[in-house]
Amino acid sequence: MADLRRFPLRALLVLGCLALGAASASAAPLDRAAFAADLCGDGAAQVRGAEGLVQAGGDLPTDDLAFAGRLLGALAERRLACPADGAVLLDRPGAPEGRDAVTGAPRPVSETRAPVLGLRQRAAIETARGTVALLTGPDPAARTAGLAVLERRIATVPAAVLDRARDAETDAALKATIAGLAQAAALSSPDPARRRAAIAAVAASPSGAAQARLAALKGDPAYAADPAFRAALDAGLAQVARAVAVGDGLAVVYNGLSFASILFMAAAGLAIIFGLMGVINLAQGEFIMLGAYATYGVQEAFRRLAPGLLDLYLVAAIPIAFLAVALVGIVVEALILRHLYRRPLMSLLATWAVSLFLVNLVRVTVGTQNLQFVMPAYVSGGVPLYADFVMTWNRLFAIGFAAATLVLTLLILRRTPLGLDIRAVTQNRDMAACLGLPTRRVDRLAFGLGSGLAGLAGVALCPIYSVNPGMGAGFIVDSFMVVVLGGVGSLVGTLVAALGVGGANVLIEPISGAVAAKVIVLVGIILFLQRRPEGLFAVRRRR
Amino acid sequence: MSALVVDALTVAFGRFTALDAVSLAVDPGEVRAVIGPNGAGKTTLLDVISGVTKPVSGRVMLGDHVDLTKRSEAEIAKAGVRRKFQKPSVFPALTVRENLEIGCGPALSPRERPARIASILGEIGLGPRAEVPAGSLAHGEKQWLEIGMVLAAEPALLLLDEPVAGLSDAETAQTAALIRSLRRPDRAILVIEHDMGFVEAIADRVTVLHEGRTLYEGSMQGARGDARVIEVFLGR
Amino acid sequence: MSGAVQTALAPAAGPARRAVRDPLVAGLVGLCLAAAAGLLVAPPAPYLVNALGQLAAFAILAVSLDLVWGYLGILSLGHGLFFAIGGYVCAMHLLAHGAAMTGVLPDFVQFMGWKSLPAYWAGLDHAPYAFVLALALAGLVAFVFGLASFRSRVNGVYFSIISQALVDVAMLLMYRNDTGLGGNNGMTGFPLLFGWPMGSPGVVTGLAVAALLTLAAVIAGTRLLVGSAVGRRMLACRDDETRLRTLGYSTTRLKLAIWCLSAMIAALAGILYVPQVGIINPRVLAPDLSIEIAVWVAIGGLGRLGGAVIGAILVNGLKFWLSAAMPEAWPFILSGLVLLVVLVLPNGLLDLVALRPRPTWLRRPR
Repeated sequence: MADLRRFPLRALLVLGCLALGAASASAAPLDRAAFAADLCGDGAAQVRGAEGLVQAGGDLPTDDLAFAGRLLGALAERRLACPADGAVLLDRPGAPEGRDAVTGAPRPVSETRAPVLGLRQRAAIETARGTVALLTGPDPAARTAGLAVLERRIATVPAAVLDRARDAETDAALKATIAGLAQAAALSSPDPARRRAAIAAVAASPSGAAQARLAALKGDPAYAADPAFRAALDAGLAQVARAVAVGDGLAVVYNGLSFASILFMAAAGLAIIFGLMGVINLAQGEFIMLGAYATYGVQEAFRRLAPGLLDLYLVAAIPIAFLAVALVGIVVEALILRHLYRRPLMSLLATWAVSLFLVNLVRVTVGTQNLQFVMPAYVSGGVPLYADFVMTWNRLFAIGFAAATLVLTLLILRRTPLGLDIRAVTQNRDMAACLGLPTRRVDRLAFGLGSGLAGLAGVALCPIYSVNPGMGAGFIVDSFMVVVLGGVGSLVGTLVAALGVGGANVLIEPISGAVAAKVIVLVGIILFLQRRPEGLFAVRRRR
Repeated sequence: MSALVVDALTVAFGRFTALDAVSLAVDPGEVRAVIGPNGAGKTTLLDVISGVTKPVSGRVMLGDHVDLTKRSEAEIAKAGVRRKFQKPSVFPALTVRENLEIGCGPALSPRERPARIASILGEIGLGPRAEVPAGSLAHGEKQWLEIGMVLAAEPALLLLDEPVAGLSDAETAQTAALIRSLRRPDRAILVIEHDMGFVEAIADRVTVLHEGRTLYEGSMQGARGDARVIEVFLGR
Repeated sequence: MSGAVQTALAPAAGPARRAVRDPLVAGLVGLCLAAAAGLLVAPPAPYLVNALGQLAAFAILAVSLDLVWGYLGILSLGHGLFFAIGGYVCAMHLLAHGAAMTGVLPDFVQFMGWKSLPAYWAGLDHAPYAFVLALALAGLVAFVFGLASFRSRVNGVYFSIISQALVDVAMLLMYRNDTGLGGNNGMTGFPLLFGWPMGSPGVVTGLAVAALLTLAAVIAGTRLLVGSAVGRRMLACRDDETRLRTLGYSTTRLKLAIWCLSAMIAALAGILYVPQVGIINPRVLAPDLSIEIAVWVAIGGLGRLGGAVIGAILVNGLKFWLSAAMPEAWPFILSGLVLLVVLVLPNGLLDLVALRPRPTWLRRPR
């Protein structure tokens, strides 16, 4: 940030400013005539005037700043004429008359020489203008623009300017940005005590950005020269690095958990159907898509009928999407799959045909574009928890949704008569039939349940993924892997496998990329099947 | 020397112990019947011997040197073990002759096959049906075809899983005669059966399994008199 | 397999005689030969010639799948992978050959800012090496994947799903631009074939004739195979694998051998396909396309090589025609066709035109 050559210069400047500050302790107003004369002077005078303004900026009254702003703007735009008797502001470059810079009285101008700015002068003037814009800008956009100018030369901006801007700022985002910059400025402050305090302050709210900011200070000459500085920086860095690592770890776990939740929702229905009937439902992805479209339908209905309750559509969509997709599943079962139970490979093709049909039906009737969803407050934004880890509500929604689905499905399977029937038929179809269970009805209801779960997955996806007719294809391969890994007919196995596949994907992806993650997961599953061909939790059966 | 030694064999499916330290020895030339109520572990025993299931512990020795628990099904079959399954397992898409040809096993040279197949066809009485697809045979014919398939390789150990299940009395008698005719000094036969009359007709000795354990071993006569055997079969 | 090969060769007269007596197979082989001769004598419009050649390549692909699905009970939902291996190696050869003859590097190489073809392209401008490499690569991938799956007894629907994942992963891999295989856009702009300009009528006809002749050879060869002792073992394995193992046969080796053979036939189809369409890109690896191959086979009639050929030609012929005439309707027609076949005609469209009473095993629903 700071190199050796500039350091003494800056120190001198600041000393000068301190002296100036002491002289004008009681917020002395700007000497307007002297300022105008400086700007009309030679290059050194211009720089002196501009830098003096910046240094004093934190204490100057607002109208003085506005005055300086007008002059600086005119100078930059070549509308400042400098006759011997004082600066004149012109309306446009080269105009024959203008107003006196200090008094505001109209004045003709004979000599319209506008000072030409050199590179060094231009930078100083820009910084001064930025200071004025930041402190007096009428709207956040103007103030942001001013801040952007200052950011480039943050080392020359006194803390007082930034502190004043921060305290006066009304826009929350801009306020945070200014605070960050003030901190950065303090980090490069020439006052060692202030720098150490700044380091401690940065380390107290760790983030990746803070880490980078502190790490950059290692190149600072003080790091080698000042043991106290060095110790403070090392301690601060270590603290931040630890916190960032923990935060990143939390973020990976959180993302893995949310991805696993989606996978679980997509795979749970698949696993129930596969366990029960040996049918791989290639249309499961399209059932998810239908669930998302049902959610969209609910949103549109709310928009028309009860716009005030629009935020609740996502909740209302839960039962509707479940029932709608369950109904579609039951129809598919009754019309097609019922005839194919002894031919699992043919049922594979039949469900593929169903998926092809559904995708194109939606494509033709609704269109291929992504659906636009209103994001209710409870699924937008998030809360920053630790370091860079932000717990986003949409992912939390998916995780909570999946957890609720798991509990409900387990309750259905373990505590209801239908669940008992499903488990009985899954474990021994012939025996269940002999005991008088209506296996066909059980099949149909279970298929409905499995399809309904896909519909629920569709609801959970809406706040996270883009929803379009082709979205189902993205889930199919991953969720099949989960079913294969988890073993047939075990919801717990599906859960563990979803966590494993989701976690592995999220863990490997940042290291070696999304494709490598998929390759590694697939190879891992094939290797795993070498040892346990029937999956994690399969019940071993006699031939 | 025994033809087959089962030594402290334990098999578990999850938490269920199907065989609990079962031991038995079959002499060459012997016909041994394994009987017991449903769930006693009879079929599991055959599964382990033929390599379909791997045990938790214990050994199955064929002759003195070959531990079958360490081998794949195909290796076990090549070692001279053949099994007839409970459900008639013939290849429905192939003709009777083609089934027998496969039954000869990969070791037999193609030149010797026709003669072997012809003699087996005679033995099992399916000569006239040689070109019929096995899928269209009657149940009893399928049972015989399967016995023919396992015989075609001239096995040293023959495993028969309920060979007369679902057969008529006349077919049962025919099958008993067939099995008696298979007896050879260099061949041991292990039969699993429910039908006591059939077992009495063919077996030299019986082993009674109950809930995965050996309950009795000895002559059929002795089994009929054994109090525990009677309780297991009649008591509940 | 040495025993198997021996037994397959010894009674060769049997299956050969039966193959000739199989009217469907004999008819299709004859038709292929006649069509090839027709193309040479009186070639129709080039686009028709080209379409016929592409159909023949698809038919070869369908036969390769029918060999493992219909006769061994292994449904691969990843056969597009082997087709793509053949296609990609063929495309590499065509580009390398073009670069060697003209000195101009392929577009994608220039796009990536490379100065020359990647090192592993070395030698690919020699056609025989490229041909052997394509088949060997397909066989090797099939061997590794098949060994891992069959050894651990992964079969049925499990195998189908894992093979689908395999092709999906391969697709993701090929979408990357840094593989040196064209990435997202794939490879196209093949200038020459054996030194002849690609689009010339002679080359178009030559390719179509080659595809038809290969199809005839593949049909005849696979028919001989399935009619042999090995073929009977395949059916036995399909119907009851455990039974076959307990009779002393290593079904893993049998399945692995046929699986690799099937993969190489699929690669052959890819080799013939790519020069005819003039492009290959990762979309041939889309899981949907691999499922479609199974659909051709099912529609034509599973477990009868002629059915696979007829299904492939029918579905793709319809697709050529309809996806131009009414693109919106084609997916609906295809899904309707699939449902019709699996529900009403379990043995495929050949049920409609049964040439003779089917053997019993074909009536067994699978």
